[in-house]
Amino acid sequence: MAGRRPKIVVLALVAIAAMLAVPSAQSLPGGISGVQQSGCNCHGAVPSDSVVASIQGLPDSYNYSESYELTVSFQGGPSQEGNSNQGGFHLWASDGSLSVNDATAQLYNENEAGHTEAGNDQTSWTLTWTAPTTDKNVEFVLHVNSVNGNEDGAGGGSSGDMWSKVAVSLSGPIEVLEAADPFVVLGVLIIVSATLLAITLAYVFYRKDPDAFDWDNFAPWLADWLTSTDHKKIGTLYFVAGLFFLGVGGIMAMIIRIQLAVPGNDFLTQEQYNQFFTLHGTTMIFLAAMPMINGFANWMIPLQLGAKDLALPRINAMSFWLQPFAALLIFTGVFSGHGADTGWTGYAPYVVSEGAHHGTTMWAAGQILLVASSTLTGINFLTTMAVMRAPGMGWMQMPLFSWSILVANVMLFLSIPAFGVGLIQVYLDRVVGTAFYDIAAGGDPLLWSHLFWYFGHPEVYVVVVPSFGIISEVIATSSRRSVFGYRSMVYAMAGIGIVAFIVYGHHMFTSGMSPTLRFVTMLTTMLVAVPTGIKVFNWLMTMHGGSLVYRTHTLWALGFLVTFTLGGISGMFFPSIAMDTHLHESYFVVAHFHYVLVGGTVFGFFAGIYYWWPKATGKMLSEKLGVLHFLTAFISYNALFWPMHRLGVWGMTRRHHTYFVTTEEALGSLPMEAAGWNMFITVSGFLFFFSNFILVFNMISSSIRGENAPDDPWGGWSFEWMTSSPPPAHTLYKLDDGTWGIPTLKDANEHIANEPGIIGRWFQRLLVSDEDTGEVAH
Amino acid sequence: MSGGFALFLFTLAAAFEWGEFMGWVNVPLIFVSLGIVGVGLLVWWRQDWSYGVDGKESMHLWEPKSTGTPFQNIDIRKVALWVFLMSEMMVFTSLFSTYMRYRLGIPNCKTVFNSGDWVEGTAVNCFEPASHLIASSWFHLAPGAINTFALIISSFTIVQALRYAKMKDIDENVRRKKVTRYLGTTWFLAVLFLTLKMIEWFLGFPLPEFMHEFNHGDSTIKSLYAEGYLINADHYQHHYYDTHYLESHGGMDQDTALYAMMQEGTHPGGHMMANIQVSATTFYVTTGTHGAHVFGGIVGLTYMTLKAARGGYTPDNAVSIEYFGLYWHFVDLVWVLVFPFFYLY
Repeated sequence: MAGRRPKIVVLALVAIAAMLAVPSAQSLPGGISGVQQSGCNCHGAVPSDSVVASIQGLPDSYNYSESYELTVSFQGGPSQEGNSNQGGFHLWASDGSLSVNDATAQLYNENEAGHTEAGNDQTSWTLTWTAPTTDKNVEFVLHVNSVNGNEDGAGGGSSGDMWSKVAVSLSGPIEVLEAADPFVVLGVLIIVSATLLAITLAYVFYRKDPDAFDWDNFAPWLADWLTSTDHKKIGTLYFVAGLFFLGVGGIMAMIIRIQLAVPGNDFLTQEQYNQFFTLHGTTMIFLAAMPMINGFANWMIPLQLGAKDLALPRINAMSFWLQPFAALLIFTGVFSGHGADTGWTGYAPYVVSEGAHHGTTMWAAGQILLVASSTLTGINFLTTMAVMRAPGMGWMQMPLFSWSILVANVMLFLSIPAFGVGLIQVYLDRVVGTAFYDIAAGGDPLLWSHLFWYFGHPEVYVVVVPSFGIISEVIATSSRRSVFGYRSMVYAMAGIGIVAFIVYGHHMFTSGMSPTLRFVTMLTTMLVAVPTGIKVFNWLMTMHGGSLVYRTHTLWALGFLVTFTLGGISGMFFPSIAMDTHLHESYFVVAHFHYVLVGGTVFGFFAGIYYWWPKATGKMLSEKLGVLHFLTAFISYNALFWPMHRLGVWGMTRRHHTYFVTTEEALGSLPMEAAGWNMFITVSGFLFFFSNFILVFNMISSSIRGENAPDDPWGGWSFEWMTSSPPPAHTLYKLDDGTWGIPTLKDANEHIANEPGIIGRWFQRLLVSDEDTGEVAH
Repeated sequence: MSGGFALFLFTLAAAFEWGEFMGWVNVPLIFVSLGIVGVGLLVWWRQDWSYGVDGKESMHLWEPKSTGTPFQNIDIRKVALWVFLMSEMMVFTSLFSTYMRYRLGIPNCKTVFNSGDWVEGTAVNCFEPASHLIASSWFHLAPGAINTFALIISSFTIVQALRYAKMKDIDENVRRKKVTRYLGTTWFLAVLFLTLKMIEWFLGFPLPEFMHEFNHGDSTIKSLYAEGYLINADHYQHHYYDTHYLESHGGMDQDTALYAMMQEGTHPGGHMMANIQVSATTFYVTTGTHGAHVFGGIVGLTYMTLKAARGGYTPDNAVSIEYFGLYWHFVDLVWVLVFPFFYLY
């Protein structure tokens, strides 16, 4: 087996390389460069200096869409008055469109023009060029033949002729930097970060054993990671992948913010902007948040339940390895410049129309893989939690983080097949031409919205509920008491899980759905505030009754409470149909969901990272850097998203690549202050983006020279703190009597409710028969 | 072990990838992708191949059991399979929702035809359920009906295979033969199912001479493909919707608005043209998804039959057959729903 491992690695690398190469090779636009070199039937082998070609009539810089009359001409060479033919030309313009004025010239396509037979006896021709509608550097290449008019000779009438070429470059109203193609920027940044990641990996391996730093040792080590079914390793992989894509999504967000920093900006074209926000959303939700949740869950669920591993380790490995390939598919379009441009919601009918980029097909395919991955993950975690709890641990004794993963996975598991089916429908529509969303054939675009949001709304809870779990753990441990109202916390989470399925209509208030349904979803959506409110008050009560220790993870948990509550309150504007109609598709929505997804989910993740890092790696993170990270990130985060509420109320629309403000000269849709606020947001955005590198630095420096962590650095009670830091591959726990083994409930933890309540007792009677209870404590 | 397994997982992921990615564009790559899936499966199977044979590795037979309530002492894999079936249920629920949305939301072709709200030469959007073609005669229905029974019988045979595999007090040879035969029968029935489906979709079948009179004198039963029931059928025509044909065959319903209009002379009659892309799409994709599940079952059954033939199933590891059986019953159950919805009603 060991001998095969290098082969496995090579196979894997070849597969990845092929996947990277093939799509980009296929989608490169072909043929453009050929025109410039050999576009004309140039007479003669080499250009002649004696022929001077020129283009007249071009401005220094063009105005959008304006037409310019060009005169192309040449002097010199064998051409002279009286020759039967005097010359010819070929003009290529990289952008804009050419058109002809008379019969002496002809158009090959809108970028290329040449002379006709009628124009053979001239040395100058006139053409019209219409400038492009956007700002670009336009290249003109002119080829001319100077002809002596002879009919004979080896060259078929072209012997003795001479040719020449001239190239002119022209810029738009605003000078643009040639290389600032955002896709190139993104591609380079992704490659740079991937390289850094690879170097870090190599360094980590080097640190493990500096003497054994060679390929013979590296290959098995790498193959072990690639083929591992150990939940801890897969958890780490998930985590690294999640962090990597968090960075990629962040880069895209920063590019979007550059575009929006000033009104009327043209850093991104409309097309590019559409792709960037689509991929930003998709990456952040599916490739960053979900893998990070799975990373936490993979690591902590077996530990918290007192299990050795997950129920289905192989399935677990498969759900992870589906993700990198899905990511490659989703990003395929970017490398070829035709990424998905549908928004992460991929609304029909645009998503199946020919107008949507080719990348959309790949985007759908990648999402299908992610659906498969999530389904497998769901099977795994639900099964694990149902069957692998430590002897004696009932449902109501599971730690709250486990409960949150259970609720999240139930939601995900029951909703994601609908999304998968919708995606398969879209994929088939795009690939084999079925007619699910073909309007002309009677297809219903709202059906997609229903399928999508039936999944999409539970999905946003899927990413935030695990954060609730983390925060519950962190706040309870930091307050040095059990969480207040454990049972109500569980019911609240379960309530959120149930309500999630009946509120999704509020995403479609303006879609023309039935008014009755709108009213119903308005009420159910308001219901969401109830369980969420219960949770927030329970957290407050936990702190109130405890004595709070301020660690970095505590700070993040407190930050979470603030931002998540603010996000929740802004969310309460949307159930109201009237408010929603006004705020729909505005930056108010953007502000709201970033407040809950960043302030809720990501802050929860940060708390989780600081909380569990010592357990997972056996090294302590630096508290100083942690506090610095919290302060900079928390402040810049609020500066980033809070003003967006204001912009939204002013009517700044999301998903538009630019905006215009009212100035003294021109009337825009936004007041003048909007420009200043947008610049402020962009600056804060960059601060937030870079502040997170403090965390990355902290992690790296901790792994290199962090002090060793004790088994239970924070004084937590649940099972994961009973094992060593880091835990062995097959987890063993330190029991009360000093031995190591698998724990039973009595070994754990005081912050769980030992006495079941009324419903709990009812459940136990329902689910556990009398003879089973006899076997509970092995 | 784990290396091989993860290789399987990894290649399978890669393969799905390729299949999705290149599919339909680049045929050789499809074969590459299928090859990778195949290699992955083979790696997996090779590990399982001698598992439990001759009791050699029975020391390693390890079926993890549940420790938590409410599934105490139930095999973990069984719980996982039930959870998996839950998501499968949601998949088919979504497909059925799509079907219901369109079936109920788009006017039926027959209703449109009878209302006279059409003119010859212009396609109308309407829903033409496949059952209209299929249930029109017993011959058309035959493949579907046989399939239904084939699947139900195969559910029975897989249980029989399990029963014999679990029997402790029979001769090993007898057990091997019985299990192999029952699994083989199940395999055969599953292949029969897909074959008949291909006949029904694409091939059609000829009728013996003496039956022609029962089939309007036609010598063959046309496939759905030949009837023009296709996903790109935006100008679908059928003689059911041809007033001339119906009049000459005496099939014109005189109790309709169309008939009244034709009598009054306000409607010229003729051959209605319909855009039935949505109907065909829902039919093919829903039944096709089910067919894909059957195909997955066939792949699994192929391996299991081969393994059974060398005595690979003993009471110790008969659970594998049980788990496959759970999946297979589910596929059967789905068909029992698909059949009335798409073939009869």
